[in-house]
Amino acid sequence: MEKTYYLGVDVGSVSTNLVMMDEEKNICEKLYLKTSGRPVDTLKEGLKCLAGHFGGAEIRGAGATGSGRQLAGMLIGADVIKNEISAHAVAASSVEPDVRTILEIGGQDSKIIFLRDGIVYDFAMNTVCAAGTGSFLDRQAARLDIPIEAFGGYALKSKNPVRIAGRCAVFAESDMIHKQQTGHCNEDIIAGLCEALARNYLNNLAKGKEICGPILFQGGVAANVGIVSAFKKILNQSVIIPRYYDVMGAYGAAILAKEELEASGDETRFCGFDSVYDDFTVQSMECKDCANMCEVIHISVNETPKACWGDRCGKWSAGAGKAQSGSRTG
Amino acid sequence: MKIGLPRGLMYAKYHTFAKTFLEELGAEVVVSPPTNKKILDRGVRCCVDEACLPMKIFHGHVDWLKDRCDALLTPRLIGVRDKEYICPMFCGLIELISNNIPDLPPLIDAPVTSLEYGKLIKWAKQAGGFIQKDDTKIALAFDRARKAQQMEQIGYNEAGYPLKIALVGHVYNIYDQFINMNVKKKLNELGIGVMTYQQVDRGDIDAQIQTLFKKPFWTFAGEYYGASVYISKKGLADGILYLSSFSCGIDSVMTELIQSEIGDFPFMVLKLDEHTGEAGFDTRIEAFSDMLKRRCEFGRHLS
Repeated sequence: MEKTYYLGVDVGSVSTNLVMMDEEKNICEKLYLKTSGRPVDTLKEGLKCLAGHFGGAEIRGAGATGSGRQLAGMLIGADVIKNEISAHAVAASSVEPDVRTILEIGGQDSKIIFLRDGIVYDFAMNTVCAAGTGSFLDRQAARLDIPIEAFGGYALKSKNPVRIAGRCAVFAESDMIHKQQTGHCNEDIIAGLCEALARNYLNNLAKGKEICGPILFQGGVAANVGIVSAFKKILNQSVIIPRYYDVMGAYGAAILAKEELEASGDETRFCGFDSVYDDFTVQSMECKDCANMCEVIHISVNETPKACWGDRCGKWSAGAGKAQSGSRTG
Repeated sequence: MKIGLPRGLMYAKYHTFAKTFLEELGAEVVVSPPTNKKILDRGVRCCVDEACLPMKIFHGHVDWLKDRCDALLTPRLIGVRDKEYICPMFCGLIELISNNIPDLPPLIDAPVTSLEYGKLIKWAKQAGGFIQKDDTKIALAFDRARKAQQMEQIGYNEAGYPLKIALVGHVYNIYDQFINMNVKKKLNELGIGVMTYQQVDRGDIDAQIQTLFKKPFWTFAGEYYGASVYISKKGLADGILYLSSFSCGIDSVMTELIQSEIGDFPFMVLKLDEHTGEAGFDTRIEAFSDMLKRRCEFGRHLS
C-alpha cells in the first residue's frame, strides 16, 4: 500500500517550518526556513520543496500553527489551526510521553509549559518584551560578527563568564558593550549572555514554579549549546533536546490534524501542493466606516475573495466566511 | 446645562449613579461614545507617556467631550471605602487632564474620599452646587441616584456553557470591550461562559481578606484577591483570567499574591497595553481554553 502522510506547518516570526509525518507519527521530512518577513512566499517555497518528494503521495491531513497560522491555514487548506502551546505540548508528549516541563524559545516568543500525565497543566508566555528570544540572540551574534550557528560554541569555551543584566534587551546590549570595552573576551561575554538569558527566562516565566524532569528544550534557540548548558547549570538537571527540536510546532500541528480527522472522520481540506501556483494575494485596508478604523485583511486566491479578518464588528469577515466555509480554530 | 460624562475608568461601575444624579439636578448628560481607536489615539497623544492605558483612554474621552458640553463631571477619586484608598493616579488625574488637554470647560472635580453616606453627601453638595443652588433638591437627587445605583446589577454570570472563566481585574478593563479586545466574545466562541468577579458577594470577599497577614491598603486589591480566592475555593469557575494594565502597580502585586494563594487553580494574566497585538492575545486565550478543556476531560476520566 502507498504510504500516506500528514503535513504540519508552523509559521513563526523568524522561521517557517514544515513537516511531513507518516501514519506512525514518524517525521519523514522537515524544513526549517527563515521567514524573513515574507510568510506567504516562504511557505510557498517550502511547499514547492516538499512537492518534489511527496507530490504524488496522498496527504491525509494538514495542520497549521505559529503566529502566522491563520494565513498559513488559509493558504494550505488546513484541517486544524491551533495555537503554539497546544502544538508544542502534543509534539513533546509524543516524543517523550513522560515529559513534565517544556522550555520553548522561539524567535519572538518564549514559553514554558508544565504537563502532568500528558496534559498541559499550566503554561506561561513572555509578556510584552521579547528580550531573551531568538531574534535578540541573532542581533547580538551579528553585532559581534559571529555566525549564529557558532554563537553557542563560544560560550562553552569560556572559563570565566561575566555577569550581564538579562532583564532587558537594551540593558543587556549596553552591558555587553561595556564589558567588551573593558577588555573581556568574546567567549566570556557570550557565556555571560547565555546565563543571563536562561536566568531571565526562568525568573520571568517559571516564577518559583517547580520544574520537574524530564525537561524538553525545543524551539530554534535549543540549537544554541551555550544556552542549553546555561539551563543545565541553573536547573541542575539534565535537559533533553529532541531530535527535531526546531520543528516541534509543525510536528505538533501534523499530529493534531491526524487526531482531529480521525475523531471526526472527515476528509482533509488540504488544497494540494499545486496550490503554490495559485495567485495568492493579501490586501490590507483601513475600514473607514466607524471610529475604530480596523485594519482589515482581505485574502483572495486567483482573484476570488476567500477570507477576511481584522474587523472588530465582523461585517467584513462574516461575508467572507460564507465563501470560504470556515476553518476550524481553537 | 450640558454636563459631559467621560466613558472611562470608574464610569464602568458608577455610571448609573452619575447619570441619575445629574439628570435629577436638571442637567443634560452627554456621554462620550464607547472607546474606539480615535479616542485611544487622541488619549495617547495628549497624555503623559508613563500613565497606564486606561488613564490615556480617559484623556481621549475627555478630549472628545470638551467641545460638546458646558462642564465635565470628573470627581477627584481618593477612596471608595473608609480608611482605604484607590490607585494614586486617580488622585492626580484632574491635574493630568487639566494640564494635558487645552481649552477644557470647567471641571466638576469635588473630591470623593469614601462612598459612605455621610462623606458622599458632602461631595454631592459640592458637586451638585455647580448645577443647582437648592440644597434640598441636591439631597433628593442624591438619594435617587444612590437608589438607582443600588438597583444596578454590575457584571454577569453566563450559564449554558460547558466551561466557565471568571474575569478579574479593574472594572475599566473588564467592561471596556475595546481595551480588552472583546475577550468575552472570544471566550464565548471557544465555548466558554464568562462571569465577572463582581458576582462574588462583598461579605465573601471580606472573609477571604481576613486571612491575609494585613488588611490591604488598596480597596481594589482587596476585592480582586478576595474574589479570586473565593472563586477558586468554591469552584465557581474553571479558571481565572486576570486582565491587567501594563505598568499597573496594584496588578503587579495582586497577580503574585493571588497565585501564591490559589495554588494549582488555572490562572492566567493578560497584559493590556496600546501595542498589544491581537494575535498574541488570541494565542494565549486559545491555549488557556485548550488547557481547561483537557484538564476537565482528564478530571472526568479519573473520577
